[in-house]
Amino acid sequence: MFLLKSNYYVIWYPLVDLNNSKHSEEKHIEEVVIVYVLYFDEARGHIPLLIYPDDKYKDDKKYMRPVKYHSIWFLSSDDLSALDHIDLEYKGFTYFGKKIFTKSKRKKRRAGLEEETPETIVIIVSLPNDIEIFGDGLIRKLTEEIQEKYDEQLYKIIECEIAKEQVIKTEKIKSCIQEGTIIKEELRSLISKLINDYFASVVKQKDSTSIKQQKAISFLSLIGHDVSHIISGVSDFSFSNIKLFDPSKSESDKGELTLKVPLSISSIHMIEDSKEIEIIVENKTDKEFKNVRVKITHVKEFFEKEIMDQFIDIWFPREELLFISPILPQINEYLFFIIDDKNKDRLLSKRIDINLLT
Amino acid sequence: MEEQDEEYVDKHDIIIRNYRTSDYQATLEILRQLHNTYDIGLNEQRWKESSGLRQFKPNLKRITLIAEYKPNGEVVGMGMLEAVKNNLGQYIGYLDNWATKREYIGKRVGEILAKRAIYILKSWGCESVRINIGYNADKKLINVIGKVGFNPILIVLEKKITEED
Repeated sequence: MFLLKSNYYVIWYPLVDLNNSKHSEEKHIEEVVIVYVLYFDEARGHIPLLIYPDDKYKDDKKYMRPVKYHSIWFLSSDDLSALDHIDLEYKGFTYFGKKIFTKSKRKKRRAGLEEETPETIVIIVSLPNDIEIFGDGLIRKLTEEIQEKYDEQLYKIIECEIAKEQVIKTEKIKSCIQEGTIIKEELRSLISKLINDYFASVVKQKDSTSIKQQKAISFLSLIGHDVSHIISGVSDFSFSNIKLFDPSKSESDKGELTLKVPLSISSIHMIEDSKEIEIIVENKTDKEFKNVRVKITHVKEFFEKEIMDQFIDIWFPREELLFISPILPQINEYLFFIIDDKNKDRLLSKRIDINLLT
Repeated sequence: MEEQDEEYVDKHDIIIRNYRTSDYQATLEILRQLHNTYDIGLNEQRWKESSGLRQFKPNLKRITLIAEYKPNGEVVGMGMLEAVKNNLGQYIGYLDNWATKREYIGKRVGEILAKRAIYILKSWGCESVRINIGYNADKKLINVIGKVGFNPILIVLEKKITEED
């Protein structure tokens, strides 16, 4: 059993270790969330700079394989403006990857690159699939803070890592290593603090309109945590002051919020003779949606491939739309999602397993 | 002329809207009438509740338009339109299974539907619109369609595929 521990709450969480199939003893949040900070080395490729909680994973192929081959590495700077981050699902874990460019004064080891050529930094957060709901917020928070506080210092950690490999360590090299190591430990402390604060706040916030908070509470309930005090309204001693949605109450009921899912999948089924899937989605609201994009993708060898991309200029209130997409031989899992084309908000996402369709 | 006007429905009394699953029975009835007259190959098992919904598929867009008579909320006509990308990368619009309820034939419901369909197909980027009508169709019908700007350009030959093929 894993123990997710923060300043405010404790979650018992059954998780199978990536390396060990046996359920381990009590473990802390440090062993559920792993943060990888890597950089692109012009001579050696994708190199880890820091791994939270412990650099010991650096030489472990089971941990490093999805990290080194994560699609985020292959994203060009043009694509970065359109995508906030890229998720990769691998063996029960989701790897949230984000790429940033930071300042550099490091002498590069490849012709054509200047000292000022920015460092390519990739930050990856891995979470068990069951709690992947927290990934989006966490990767965003971590990236913002790291970029804000370490934009001009990360290259020093890179210099330190390169210097460590020098056989003869001059005083200058030693001093470089020392400086880099100090920055690295500060960065590790920052990551630790951010993770603890994030997980503490995610259920502590009083924002009952947030689906994420609702899912967090649902998750606690699912794994056996007592949430009855939230339902009964006696929340004086609660770890969270969030209120559960009550679908039985109408929107007009004072003090209660109803669960409003703007778009909902009415049915999914497979057409056997044409090897296609039909997905019907309804706009559950009384407003129309404009400029919406509907995509179906699948993951093959770490890369997300698109099989359908449809643009809908207007989606009328209460209207049901039918999406038909071909399915591919040997591919059973697809990701269906609907995004607002303007602000890139994800309005709906659903994983489709062909084997589970009737 | 006045006498003829009285036969037409007031265009403001006709609402043209997208198909909803609640229109299923009414559209099935209209399609049955059409099939009985022109043998459109209707297979009732294949015309499902979802068949008329706005449909999105790679290289294909399809809508079923419904003509609703405002005073009584009755579905009085229907028509499917689709835009298909041809080999030259152009979208061609097609009007299929255009039918009006027997009692409303000749009251310009079809014309109101067709005008809206052409407007939609234009907004989808279609360069032309085609409509298939029976080879032995009434000359009067061809003239009615011709008035909205449709000219005959193709003769489509069809062979029914049987088990012996």
